[in-house]
Amino acid sequence: MSLIKDLTKGIYHENPVFKLVLGMCPFLAVTTSVENALGMGAAATFVLICSNFLVSLFRNIIPSKVRIPCYIVIIATFVTLVDMVMNAYLPDLHRSLGIFIPLIVVNCIILGRAEGFANRNPVLNSIADAIGMGIGFTLAMVVLASFRELLGNGTWLNFNILGSAYQNQPLLIAILAPGAFILLSFILGFSNILEQRKGGRQ
Amino acid sequence: MAQTRRFELAMPPHVGASQTTRKIMFDVVIALLPALAAATWFFGPRALLIVFLSAATAVVAEYLCLKFMKRPVSFALDGSAIVTGMLLAFNLPSGVPFWLPVIGTAFAIVVGKQAFGGLGHNIVNPALLGRAFLMASFPILMTAGWIAPESWKTGTEGAWETNGIVLEEMSTIPEADAISGATPLNVLKQTFDLDASAANAQLEGNTSEAEGLEERAVSIRSALSSNSTYMNLLIGRTGGCLGETSVILLLVGAIYLVMRGVLELRLPISYLLTVAFFAWVFGGSGWFNGDPLFHVLAGGVVLGGIFMVSDMVTTPVTPKGRIIFGIGAGLLTMVIRRWGGYPEGCSYSILLMNLVTPLIDKFTLPKVFGEVKKNG
Repeated sequence: MSLIKDLTKGIYHENPVFKLVLGMCPFLAVTTSVENALGMGAAATFVLICSNFLVSLFRNIIPSKVRIPCYIVIIATFVTLVDMVMNAYLPDLHRSLGIFIPLIVVNCIILGRAEGFANRNPVLNSIADAIGMGIGFTLAMVVLASFRELLGNGTWLNFNILGSAYQNQPLLIAILAPGAFILLSFILGFSNILEQRKGGRQ
Repeated sequence: MAQTRRFELAMPPHVGASQTTRKIMFDVVIALLPALAAATWFFGPRALLIVFLSAATAVVAEYLCLKFMKRPVSFALDGSAIVTGMLLAFNLPSGVPFWLPVIGTAFAIVVGKQAFGGLGHNIVNPALLGRAFLMASFPILMTAGWIAPESWKTGTEGAWETNGIVLEEMSTIPEADAISGATPLNVLKQTFDLDASAANAQLEGNTSEAEGLEERAVSIRSALSSNSTYMNLLIGRTGGCLGETSVILLLVGAIYLVMRGVLELRLPISYLLTVAFFAWVFGGSGWFNGDPLFHVLAGGVVLGGIFMVSDMVTTPVTPKGRIIFGIGAGLLTMVIRRWGGYPEGCSYSILLMNLVTPLIDKFTLPKVFGEVKKNG
């Protein structure tokens, strides 16, 4: 029961982006297209699962005074793996994600889950938590990236949705940096309104 | 949420006055009308239609926002939305398609104003935010939609001419887009590009080419500083944003506002004087030889100085703070005009100063009577 709860809480109730507001840096930077969002989400989820697994496995061995450096070493190992594999097999995606792949090392979500969850929970629960959080992060990025790609480029996952007439004059700001902040604030605002209305009825 | 309020709480200061938001806003609308008439005269009926569409969108967007937030919808008719819509339209090139002002105004009201809590709570001027949004989203339309003045009467919108400089001549300038040369400030900016090309040619040893380029830059600049250019800029017979061209009619609006006690002169005067000063310092090709009169008359400085720098919500409340605001905005305007990527820096300079307004207010707060200086 608690395994399923650990798995599902990251998707909505403790969504790392919309509820905990963590991992803003890659979230705002790479959501210019759905493809980038999926790539980033997959990379972060892989690192999250592996690091949660190892941290949880070694949680009784790692001295608590040096635990943060240990987490960083574990996370950096898997990030290097992802970086190299992506560079070898998905060079285009690797190029468009750029610096944000190495920056997964300092991603607050991964470090936060290691410190806040894997550090004090058994291995299976930690993996479930990592999968849930990874899916939540990926979903959140896909949501924002959908708005940005659709408005700023007229496409969704590189499929032309709005037609070439729109693509001649797209809402360019959506794929620029200010558009990410504006759309994020709208999504957060509307999700807060929904929460409030739901809370009011109960 | 349905709590009953016994007192309507409003923002301080709580001083009884005959001025109401509605009265002030409709005074501003009246003050904008002369410039609107000039825009219609020079750029044709489409200018009037753009302003109308923009103002109508503003009211509708405001109404929908208030409805959504469950606030009294009567605020939508207090005139502030109409002013925002009109000012945004005044900041657009007159050749833009009609959907552009609609999108821009909707953004200005929804994101620039209502998302922050409505009138009195917005951090930056909504009309200028709308313009910045449109500049970022539709850079081509916003920088190429110029209409040559009075061309609509003869149906020769294609014949671009600005201040006696036929744009065909401009188009022979290397890397200069013929259409983008349609405002006086664009022409000035391109003479700086000519200076740069001349310096490059000089470095490559092409002395004759360098001299030719430099000669053309100097001749265009002297054409810009001629009496006929000043005259055209004063009455508004020049390319530019819809409502910014006619300096005289904008000033008529300003005089009306001053007489009605709506316009406080510290902000516009400190702003315009600063622009003039720095135009002289670095507005020309070298140091201390710029043309202050041209820089004040051209572009949106007068429109911005009267109607945007003096926006009551987004500018400092203290007298000293207002002067600081005007000086800062004036300096930034000239820095952007001379070295920035855009030919005109008026709107961005005011937006940037809007952001530091709370800080200016904090540092220029007058000392409370009887207060003792700490650590003194």
